[in-house]
Amino acid sequence: MSSTMISRHIPDLDLITSYAERQDSFFTKVSPWTKFAALVLVILLITLTRSLVVCAALYLTVLLMYRLAGLPLKNLFAWYTLPALFVLSLVGIMAWSEPGSVLFSCAIAGITISLTDNGVLLVLTLLLKALISVTFSLFFLMTTRYQHFSAMIYRLFPSPLDQIFLMAYRFLFLTLAMTGAMLKAVQSRGGGIIRSIQMQGRIFAEVFALVFIRSFERAERVQRAMIARGYNGAYVAGTEVPQPGVFGYGVLCAFALAIAGIVWLVPNTGGW
Amino acid sequence: MAHIHLEDGSFTLVWVVVWWACALLLIGISLYLVRSAQKPDNRRITIAAFCTAAAFAIFQISIPVFGGVHINLTPLIGILTGPAIGSLVVLIINILSAAIGHGGWSMIGANTLVNIAEVAVAYATWRILKPCIPGLFPRAGIATIAGLLCGNIAMILIIVISGVQGVNQGTAQILAGLSLLAAVNMGVAVIEAFVTGMIVTYIGKVRPDLLRGERP
Repeated sequence: MSSTMISRHIPDLDLITSYAERQDSFFTKVSPWTKFAALVLVILLITLTRSLVVCAALYLTVLLMYRLAGLPLKNLFAWYTLPALFVLSLVGIMAWSEPGSVLFSCAIAGITISLTDNGVLLVLTLLLKALISVTFSLFFLMTTRYQHFSAMIYRLFPSPLDQIFLMAYRFLFLTLAMTGAMLKAVQSRGGGIIRSIQMQGRIFAEVFALVFIRSFERAERVQRAMIARGYNGAYVAGTEVPQPGVFGYGVLCAFALAIAGIVWLVPNTGGW
Repeated sequence: MAHIHLEDGSFTLVWVVVWWACALLLIGISLYLVRSAQKPDNRRITIAAFCTAAAFAIFQISIPVFGGVHINLTPLIGILTGPAIGSLVVLIINILSAAIGHGGWSMIGANTLVNIAEVAVAYATWRILKPCIPGLFPRAGIATIAGLLCGNIAMILIIVISGVQGVNQGTAQILAGLSLLAAVNMGVAVIEAFVTGMIVTYIGKVRPDLLRGERP
């Protein structure tokens, strides 16, 4: 368990960064801009399609790419908990009122609710879309070096948004480690055991308040240190991000054409 | 905090673009306000960065109450940093969250709008109530409830206006489902108000200078 890992179900930034820095797979060498454009195209495709078959095929492709990149599947499946829970928490409610052939029905407080085939299909499709998005996002994060990320953020966002983003991304590791250490301290003193809401609230409020106060104090110290080293409000990320090659452009064009073809040919697409 | 827990592919492309455009407009206004400040304040930028990191870290913690709830402290961000910087902070939190599967990339626009509503309303309530309620705990609690209530309303409006791809229900049925979710969210909002009140009280005791305009 790394210092920045707060829960096994939430992606571990230390592990993600470790893979991004140490992996030497084919996908690590692909231009970060190509992977970023591919991410945009993946999101575009899952926005446009409503077909379960297309979603299933795309999910398997993305999962295969993730595996071929040598990334850990066991962790990925644990990290699916959060998006799956979110889909079920909202779409799971809507699925019960969906028109279609009734598969199951029950009465709650005099109101009959039914689960239909369309309701199940809706949950499955949106769940697959969520898993595609998460898998490709993590694939992108775990095959792109930190210095390239920084440079991309610096080029994509206007100032001071880029400055806040770059510093926040850097500080995230410190803050997560600090929060994890404080939670361990609380748990070792019985803070994880359910007592009263007031007591839990007080304990966690103090942890959260300490996170904020220590963060501010660190921010001030870091800012003074940065000024001493010549910081004048511009955090420059000067690393050159490799541009897509002919192969990269070719893959992106093929992917874009495939999306156009799927939207044109496959039924249940066209989520404009 | 209210957060549209829908992933990519839930909204149609048109609505994704509409909500992204609205969010970018508000972010543009915030950027203009931050840039046109009387003098460049690097300290505020550094503090905003740490605030982003702290809020993102806290968002990952599950409080063992009612089976475990998550809070995001967007009203607290509003109280501590103000609406302009707060808007930039919530945008970055939403981008980082999308990267780990908490809300989709295409939902960042809609989620940022919801969170900006929370930040702005909480900040306005916090400032407006100052003459009537000098106590930090009740004022922060009320500001949090007000912010989260507006965030919930914004979330419901966005989903009802956009619709969810594949859902063939009428507005009334969607509203009924969302009302259940909003009720749960408001239950969590009471916990968040309590926690935010305590945090602000604690900060008021230890570092009152961090609460802008409050007397040490």
